[in-house]
Amino acid sequence: MKKNIIYVLFCFLAFVSACGVDDNSDSQPTDSYDRGALLLNWADNIIIPGYANLSQKLNVLEIASEDFTQVPAVESLEVIRNTWLEAYKAFQKISMFEIGRAETLNYRNRLNVYPTNAQEIDGYISSNTWNLELPSTIDSQGFPAIDYLLYGLGTDQETLDKYTTDENASSYKMYLLDLVTTMQTLTNEVIFDWQNGYRETYITNISSSASGAVDQTVNAFMYYYEKALRAGKVGIPAGVFSGSTLPQNVESYYNQFVSKLLLTQALSATVGFFNGEGATADFPSNGFSLNSYLNALNTVKNGSDLSSLINDQFQVAFSKIELLDDNFTEQVTNDNIKMLETYDELQRNVILMKVDMLQALSIDVNYIDADGD
Amino acid sequence: MEKLVLLPIFIATLFVSCSSDDDNQVIIEPIEPIVAPADYTFTRNNESTVSFSGQSTRIFMAEEIISGLKANTTQTEASLLAMFDHQEGADDFSDPLLNASGKSVRSKTAASYDYFIENATEASEIKSMFDNYITLQATEVFPNWDVIAAPGVAGQIADGSSTRYVSPKGLEYNQAFAKGLIGAFVSDQILNNYLSPSVLDAADNVSNNDNDVTDGDKNYTVMEHKWDEAYGYLFGGVPEENQSNPLPTIGDNDSFLNKYVGKTNSDPDFEGIAQDIFDAFKLGRAAIVGKDYDLRNAQAVILQQKISEVIAIRAVYYLQTGKSSIESGDFGAAFHDLSEGYGFLTSLRFTRDTQNGTSIFTKSDVDGFVSDIMTDGPNGLWDVTAETLDAISEEIASRYSFTVAQAASSN
Repeated sequence: MKKNIIYVLFCFLAFVSACGVDDNSDSQPTDSYDRGALLLNWADNIIIPGYANLSQKLNVLEIASEDFTQVPAVESLEVIRNTWLEAYKAFQKISMFEIGRAETLNYRNRLNVYPTNAQEIDGYISSNTWNLELPSTIDSQGFPAIDYLLYGLGTDQETLDKYTTDENASSYKMYLLDLVTTMQTLTNEVIFDWQNGYRETYITNISSSASGAVDQTVNAFMYYYEKALRAGKVGIPAGVFSGSTLPQNVESYYNQFVSKLLLTQALSATVGFFNGEGATADFPSNGFSLNSYLNALNTVKNGSDLSSLINDQFQVAFSKIELLDDNFTEQVTNDNIKMLETYDELQRNVILMKVDMLQALSIDVNYIDADGD
Repeated sequence: MEKLVLLPIFIATLFVSCSSDDDNQVIIEPIEPIVAPADYTFTRNNESTVSFSGQSTRIFMAEEIISGLKANTTQTEASLLAMFDHQEGADDFSDPLLNASGKSVRSKTAASYDYFIENATEASEIKSMFDNYITLQATEVFPNWDVIAAPGVAGQIADGSSTRYVSPKGLEYNQAFAKGLIGAFVSDQILNNYLSPSVLDAADNVSNNDNDVTDGDKNYTVMEHKWDEAYGYLFGGVPEENQSNPLPTIGDNDSFLNKYVGKTNSDPDFEGIAQDIFDAFKLGRAAIVGKDYDLRNAQAVILQQKISEVIAIRAVYYLQTGKSSIESGDFGAAFHDLSEGYGFLTSLRFTRDTQNGTSIFTKSDVDGFVSDIMTDGPNGLWDVTAETLDAISEEIASRYSFTVAQAASSN
């Protein structure tokens, strides 16, 4: 009898403090949050405008690459470098959405595997033979390969010489143009798919199961945050997985002064996605987000709203990033502790999101750590 | 250590029994219980009796071969076959010490006493299977190195940021080869050769061990050495200074059994299996020193059971991860897992049922599994279905005490 009373009390307390995930009734298999509206916000206000923005930046880069290869000069080099950076920043906004066509294209890897394989690129250029469709060329294309071709060939004059007086000058130009058009083609394929059926499939796939669009998007988001952002941009260069620092593994190794900028862009996009913020002022949020989903479920951890804990933790991570040098190669070489501290703060949100958030949302993690061979 | 502790008791006992003639005369025989040492260290006359450099040599040879299987520009069918069937002095490896050795991997493939001494036919078939992987890698895959793989077309396929090189049927021959060697070479030698009484007790091994008659000018008895050779197939890739205490780096010391004992051990469902294996190796070796052959055999049984289990767990694991990749349409990831699984399936042949001393899986079981995953359609792994992978997984797990779900949740 006593046991029963305690049990009832416990249940009551649990209900009041809203520990329960299914907040209204035990019989309902899923919650009542409007997943359709959530998917609509993601598709129409974040993902599709994000890709459109990248596509537009890539078109500008493409024009700059035409201009540069026609007249390689200090001015045209400056322009293509700037347009490359603008496109790279735009890429950071959509890199987390590796679903649908992007997933089958292996999109993120096609555009951003680093460190790039400079030796292989040199080989392709000197033999004037390459095929960017081959998976084995994945580390010789995308933004990091362009980084090498614009910043990794020596001084500005030495760089220009490669595109003018070098015996392989025409090959350098063709390779650079091929890199840019390949990124354009891949991006346009993803956009085409969203615009021709995938959006409708996506926003109506509201089931809360492994094949549901919410589960898939959140898994893609978590995988991105854990592997591409936390590990790729910070942990790997800081030596978290190797025992010693890997300064050559920073994002944008040849133009070393933008590694921090790219990380900041990526983390802003991550926070924006969590809070459901529209890609630009033209695409205002409809208010549906992971943040509001957690709040609707009254998800609490240690007495605080989980959504606030996650947002607060993002701010802590930003405050660590602020202390970093723009140049991450310098940072890990001279003061790796700050890089490791940044990693630790990013890692705390892996726990809050991958464990606590996914549990609250009843989403199973669909990826495992790679085998390593 | 035990001796030092027991000595005063022994003396005291003698003293008591000699100095009094009361009727309570108890003659305590100083039985020295056999206890495994803290690490795998055994000595005679203050010098180590442990030696397994031959196993290290063969493991290093096998490592070079599996690297060579991916070296399309520097290796050929002939050079790879020569590495596998190395002859003393031939310039097959990058390491001159391996070239100078008279040992080879092929001579110890499907070569255990218990399984193959009277079964040269199957031994020869299995050796040919590995030869054939090499031949097909060189003749089907190497020429298509820069071709994109498709059903019926060998070539490369993306697996995340990695690139896999597959046969026309989606099989990575190098993976089938490497994971197949874990059974046919490493485990067969441990389970069915060096841990078997037919090898440990051969000729006059027992009487020599009973009388501490060492092997020629060596510091070990033959029986001690045979046991160490079993140990060496699991720990021969460990740097020499850590070979007596190898668990801290379990999983990192080779691409063969060490690696997969480590991976199995990191699954919470099977945590501790590495320690169990190490403990059985130590206690069995101590039992040989203590001349307690029942205790030795009991440890051999533990090792045979645990290692047989590791092979089966990994087979099921890769079939299951391959299944989820197939279901999400990621053929590159699926082919890599299923090719590893294919190798582990062939390795099942070398597991051991310790009740009757034969394999837990017959030749026809294994042939059936391999055939099943390659014949759901005309193009092998391109066509394999989740149902087929589940059916094989269930069949394997049904012969053990673990479930498919437990094996699948490993990493």
